Amino acid sequence: MRLEVDDDELAACVSCGLCLPHCPTYRVTGEESASPRGRIAAMRAVHAGAEAGPAFTSFMDLCVQCRGCEAACPSGVPFGRLMEGARRTLVAERRYQPWWRRAGYRLLGHHRLLLAASSAAALAQRAGLVPARLGLPRLPVRRPRLDASGTDAWLFTGCVMDAWMRPTHAAALRAMEATGAGVTPVGAGCCGALAEHAGLAEVAGGQAARVVASMTGTAPVVVDSAGCGAVMKDYGRLLGTPGAQAFAGRVMDVSEWLATRPLPTGRRLPLRVAVQDPCHLRHVQRAHAHVRTVLTPYVEEVVELDDDGLCCGAGGAYATVHPDMAARIRALKLEAIAGARPDVVASSNPGCAMHLAAAGVVVRHPVEIIAEALGGPEALGG
Amino acid sequence: MGLSRPLADFAAEVGAEGPVAVVGGRTQWDVGGPVAPDARLVSAPAGVVDHQPADMTVRVGAGTTVAELTEALAAAGQFVPLDPAQPGRATVGGVLSVGHSGLRRLRYGPVRDTLLEARYVSAAGRLVKAGGPVVKNVSGFDLCRLLVGALGTLGLLAEVVLRVQPVPAARRWLRGRADPDVVLARLYRPSSVLWDGDSVWVLVEGHPADVAELAGRLAGFAEVDGPPPLPAGGRLSVAPTDLNRFGNERQAGTFLAEVGVGTVHLHDKVTPPSPEPSVLDLNHRVRAAFDPDHRFNPGRRVA
Amino acid sequence: MRTLLEDLTAALGAGAVKGDPLELALYARDASVMEGSAGCVCFPTDAAQVQAVVGVARAHGRSVVPRGSGTGLAGGAVPIGKPGAEPVVVVTTRMNRILSVDAAARTAWVEPGVLNLDLSRAVAHLGLHFAPDPSSQQACSVGGNVANNSGGPHCLAYGVTTAHVLAVEVVLSDGSVARLGGTDPDPTGYDLRGAFVGSEGTMGLATAVLVRLTPLPPAVRTLLADFPSAESAAETVSAVIAAGVVPAALEMMDQRITVAVEDFVHAGFPTDAAAVLLAEIDGLPGGVDAAVATVVELARRHGARQVRVAADEAERALLWKGRKSAFGAVARIAPDYYLHDAVVPRTRLSEVLQRVYEIADANHVGVMNVFHAGDGNLHPLFLFDRRVPGALERVHEAAGEVLRICLDAGGVLSGEHGIGLEKRDYMPLLFSEDDLAAQDALRRAFDPERLFNPDKVLPSGSRCGDIRSLPEGVWV
Repeated sequence: MRLEVDDDELAACVSCGLCLPHCPTYRVTGEESASPRGRIAAMRAVHAGAEAGPAFTSFMDLCVQCRGCEAACPSGVPFGRLMEGARRTLVAERRYQPWWRRAGYRLLGHHRLLLAASSAAALAQRAGLVPARLGLPRLPVRRPRLDASGTDAWLFTGCVMDAWMRPTHAAALRAMEATGAGVTPVGAGCCGALAEHAGLAEVAGGQAARVVASMTGTAPVVVDSAGCGAVMKDYGRLLGTPGAQAFAGRVMDVSEWLATRPLPTGRRLPLRVAVQDPCHLRHVQRAHAHVRTVLTPYVEEVVELDDDGLCCGAGGAYATVHPDMAARIRALKLEAIAGARPDVVASSNPGCAMHLAAAGVVVRHPVEIIAEALGGPEALGG
Repeated sequence: MGLSRPLADFAAEVGAEGPVAVVGGRTQWDVGGPVAPDARLVSAPAGVVDHQPADMTVRVGAGTTVAELTEALAAAGQFVPLDPAQPGRATVGGVLSVGHSGLRRLRYGPVRDTLLEARYVSAAGRLVKAGGPVVKNVSGFDLCRLLVGALGTLGLLAEVVLRVQPVPAARRWLRGRADPDVVLARLYRPSSVLWDGDSVWVLVEGHPADVAELAGRLAGFAEVDGPPPLPAGGRLSVAPTDLNRFGNERQAGTFLAEVGVGTVHLHDKVTPPSPEPSVLDLNHRVRAAFDPDHRFNPGRRVA
Repeated sequence: MRTLLEDLTAALGAGAVKGDPLELALYARDASVMEGSAGCVCFPTDAAQVQAVVGVARAHGRSVVPRGSGTGLAGGAVPIGKPGAEPVVVVTTRMNRILSVDAAARTAWVEPGVLNLDLSRAVAHLGLHFAPDPSSQQACSVGGNVANNSGGPHCLAYGVTTAHVLAVEVVLSDGSVARLGGTDPDPTGYDLRGAFVGSEGTMGLATAVLVRLTPLPPAVRTLLADFPSAESAAETVSAVIAAGVVPAALEMMDQRITVAVEDFVHAGFPTDAAAVLLAEIDGLPGGVDAAVATVVELARRHGARQVRVAADEAERALLWKGRKSAFGAVARIAPDYYLHDAVVPRTRLSEVLQRVYEIADANHVGVMNVFHAGDGNLHPLFLFDRRVPGALERVHEAAGEVLRICLDAGGVLSGEHGIGLEKRDYMPLLFSEDDLAAQDALRRAFDPERLFNPDKVLPSGSRCGDIRSLPEGVWV
């Protein structure tokens, strides 16, 4: 089976193994098949004609796509692209992603439908009709309104995050406006990240095009979800148009954007905050340093986790598709968090936040901490 | 410079048959038991063959006395931390074969870490090379470490290449009364910390400023000429963290312990404990593989 | 009779044994350029399970190939066996617990799968670290370090792995467990611990290691000197050592690699220098200052244009980043590289380096040099693209010639990668038949049946004409 990958990129791995400790599934299993090096070796074997049986699909499927390996790779192997290419091929060959998963990814693009479904689920949850083992957070029945205050920057609000965690968007607005900027929040459905990682390129492309069309002009596109921001910065490659390229150049993580602004004065909260770097902020956007810059003035202490930015196991839809592996990976993160003894963990990605909160960790988005330090509308409490 | 006689002559003298024992300076002649009386006595070639200060290595005949080696290296400001009690008589091959490290093991490591290459005569009377003449080498199995402390029961050392060290610019022995573990913890890489149950002796070496600074950390310690006389009856090997308990169960002055190392010097003879059966068996297999007829140093036992 | 897979599964449980062909293919190689083939792969979690694996492998007439993280560069973990009798690969990644740390004794018992850097991180709060620091230290395992007697830049002052291993618990080929070495300084008997360290998995499988932990130095200074010629840099190395200064690390980079690194990480390395030396000196402040002054003075006397002493921790980290990014920088220039490893006496560095360039040119192979100059440990990096027909062969040709000139200069075959599969047939260039027979005798004492990693280290020729066909990529 020829994989939809670039031959030179596939040949770039020299099997040195320096990626191994940075791969969460390898850390948990100790198996080559669950490591970047092993997955590339498997891709090479299949690309060269070896049988692509169920084992190959399972090796590809177990990857969280955290891309911690890319940051560690001395040869600069673009592992994320190779994995997406391999999954695209498997999807095309109908060996991967059953219809119900595909339908789920499509739903994310239809925002009003998603909001309605989420509210219905919230009511069902209140009525005790949603099994706890699904690990869903307490879903909101009502959501705070997000109002536009100007045109200096866009705030992208996304899909699931908007449905479940809108107070985070409200906090982002509060923090951004406190720097003197006028901001317009925009909900245009899913950014396409989840479909792209799943190998559903067509679905992802449609969603991305809708997002690009929704935020015109030259103002920065600010994103408070690290996973969304990562793929939006990659729209140029994903859509292959000059317009998408220009759009991608405007995308910034909310901390990255705040760090370019004069930080407003606020209270210093008596908190020891451990920063959990979402993989797509640290390994893909490589913009994680800004979180520390913008948090430091507002808290007592910012502490690091001693795990070299190892993935927490959330991985977008990963925790839903592979709950057991996600929990085993999370156990490593919990150990690192325990070692840092924080009052609160700051995470810039809703998926990570929910995944860690489900294990009892107190997690907040950095902008929520900043908003509290700045003082603000009651609604921020969520 | 040069060897007292060619290595091949020594190999021929050892030959391939009959019991043979190698004699150095007889300073540790009784370690491991008395040599069988019927063993033919041989001595290894002596002399410093080659010293490259910039390589930090020296090639020397195993029969060379430590004093001679020390003198040859002194001009370049270097030495080998073998530190036998009687350097004028003890030979390089003897110190290595007995394997007892000197009093500065705490800083310089065990004596086995100094041996880079060995040329030895095998039980078949052949000259065999182990290791290599450079300071870093993982080419093949580490026979050198096996030969150190083997009491010449695996092969007879003929010529060796040793790692040398720069002579420290300053050194100071100090004596005082303190908890030996506290003394050890307070210093950075002291060369020696000795304890007899009452007093503690400390050797600090290095740059003069550092030596002075380290000495200053030991309140109540006074400078002395050197360590106390070493009890020469026998040596015990104790886990360093057990030394304190060990010493407190004994009368002060009946022993001298190397703190941080675990070697205890006693006035009485010591019978070393026997290894666990699986390890003892492995020892016997190693001996059998190198000297199946036990012709080398019969009577002396390593385990 | 049950199959090998069935017996291993019965012994270890289903999740701990792998037999799918695609999965086995992932264990065909390590970080070297050679490839073998595994019969089965298993993941024991303790010594008892390793004993069980050894029993099953013996019963099925299979050899056992230990594997840690698979970062070895000499093919030590590459499984070699006749079709139908491929080895059982025993992976130590699930034996990865730090069993105990004794801060007072400065020791720790660890399982073999613990990663080198993880160990240092875990004891950093005690002011201690595990001193061997191979370039792969973030990924390589302590068990692998023991097998290869690994080195690293800082082994110049601190010594290689064997100086930091006090004891090993080993499963032997008869299935017994033996503890070699001990917590005391001179355990009774031969130094079997010393014999085992560096035996590349041929004498047994270590299931626990007692390591020595080293205090972090009170003072550290790092400096970079640039030279108009490789000769002057090499001569400075000799002069520094001869002056009685033993730096913690003394690394050299030639112009080609310096340019590549500077393009990659922008560490401020001078790209017009023929060679740069990176020196690190640690210890107590007085000695460190004096040694830094000596190194600066000697570098200037040997023609260094500029000597830059890192002013702070950030600058020091940047200099090391430049050094440690060397392989990454190279990987961006050519798709494949072959990292050589040989040692020469320090005093011969300059001339050997010159010959390395000549050999590379003659074989039309790109070469760069970045190496542990302080202990004469050369690491020429040959660049190639394995998809180009004949490229790998030319690299092997050049690498073989380099080995010969290193041996001619009084050097050895390997300083830290080991012999493995890659260099075993070069062993007769360094050792006579008698020498090799002695090494084989040691191996036989440990493993009379050649159960463990049988085709490694010693050349096949030394075993009664038992010459097997070599797999692809192996030098002949």
